[in-house]
Formats: sequence, structure tokens, C-alpha cells
Amino acid sequence: MPISTEELEGGITRVILEGSLDIAGAAAVDMRMNVIAGTKKAVLLDLQKVSFLGSMGLRALVIPARAVMGRGGKIVIFGPNELVEKVLKTSGVDTLIPIHHELQNAVAALQ
Amino acid sequence: MNLNGNETTTETLTLRGRMSELTRVSPWIERLAKKYAIPQKTEFAMNLCLEEVLSNIIRHGYSGDSDHFISVHFDTHKDDYLVFVVDDHAPPFNPVDAPELPPINLLDNIQIGGQGIRLLRRFADTLEYSSIPTGNRLTIGFAASSALARD
Repeated sequence: MPISTEELEGGITRVILEGSLDIAGAAAVDMRMNVIAGTKKAVLLDLQKVSFLGSMGLRALVIPARAVMGRGGKIVIFGPNELVEKVLKTSGVDTLIPIHHELQNAVAALQ
Repeated sequence: MNLNGNETTTETLTLRGRMSELTRVSPWIERLAKKYAIPQKTEFAMNLCLEEVLSNIIRHGYSGDSDHFISVHFDTHKDDYLVFVVDDHAPPFNPVDAPELPPINLLDNIQIGGQGIRLLRRFADTLEYSSIPTGNRLTIGFAASSALARD
């Protein structure tokens, strides 16, 4: 599963995930996500190109999110599709990581 | 045969009880979706439910990698439902009656891995459990009619 990062203004790191965040996808991004979680304080998780999210994928998002917040940082989710958002809301992840569909709102939430 | 057909068709995927085997599931569902004109939302739900069920069998029922098998039968026309029947050789476990953990929240660190049953119940249209002589049978149904307008 492709994962890339982009540094935005204001010290925000945009993490772009692409493809299926299933068991294999989660395993593929785990290490990179943990590195990001251990070093960044404002993280925008861009899920616009994520086509599938399972519970192992949830784990790959939630554990790093807790690490970022545990260090006093902020993290938001940007642009999940309808089905991915349903998984996030069903599992309650949206109460832990706010979901935004407008990039400027996601960025504002991190400042 | 597509969703509007009248004949019953069954296809089977047999997996060894190893996590690495789960990479075979998504391509199989993708092939079924194309062959039977299954809508994308239903395909998503099928992938989600089977990932949960199969990974739970391997991790908990088989306690990790195992040479036991899991059989997944796909039935295209059973009372207007698209049905997966999952047979395993694990100790008895009924996910239909299992308690559902609360949603993930800010304070509780232990809930991350407990969302599978919640997701299974929300994304499947029907769930039936039965104990069989060799282990467990879980039947997961997706309404063919509502598949076209799944919310």
C-alpha cells in the first residue's frame, strides 16, 4: 500500500495513504506510521484514495494517533469516502480522530 | 448468473489457517463481484466481514498459524440473499451472541482490537451461527435487493 508524506505550512505533515487498508495494507504502512507518530506533532491523514478499511487498518490509524496525542500533538482525518467513513464512525474512531472533508478545515483544526 | 438470476450457484474458497492466506480473499471477492455484478458497496461489506471473521478464526480460534483449513462457500441465490458460509475447525465460538465491545474512545486503550464483531453486525444483513461436528459454521448474508441501495 503506497504511503507518502508532504510537509505543509505551519509544521503540518500530510500523510497520504492510497489503496486498500486491509490486513496486508495495514502491515505495509505500520512501521512508517509509527515513525511519523513518534516524530510529528500535527498530522493530517489523507484518506481520499483509500478504497477499503478493515479493523486491522483501523489499528494502523488509531495506535499512531494515540501516540501523536500522547505527545501533545494533533491529528485529523481528511477526505474518507462514504464507506471508509462508515467504518470509522461505526468503530467510534471519529470520536478520537476528527474527520474533515474540506482541506482548509482539516488544516485549521491542526493549528 | 447475476443478482437477478434464479439459479443457485455455489463457489468455494479453501484457506489454510494462516494470516498470509488472507491475501487470497480480496481477489476472490473481486472476481465474484465482477462475475455476479455485485455492487461496489456490497463488495466492500463482503470484504470487511470476511476479513473480520477469517482473521478472528486464525488468530483466536486456531491461536495463530495452523494447518487447519477454513472453507468459505459463496451462494448467489438463497432467499434473495448473497450468502457466505464459513466453516472452521476451531473450538466453539458464536460471534452472533458474543458481547460487543464499546466503540473506540479517547480513554480506553484496550478496545482497538475489539471492533470486529461490531463491524460484522453493522455491515452484514444477516448472521447465523451453528455448531457443526467439526467446528463452527457462520452464515453471513447480504441482501441482494438492498445491495443496490446499501447505505
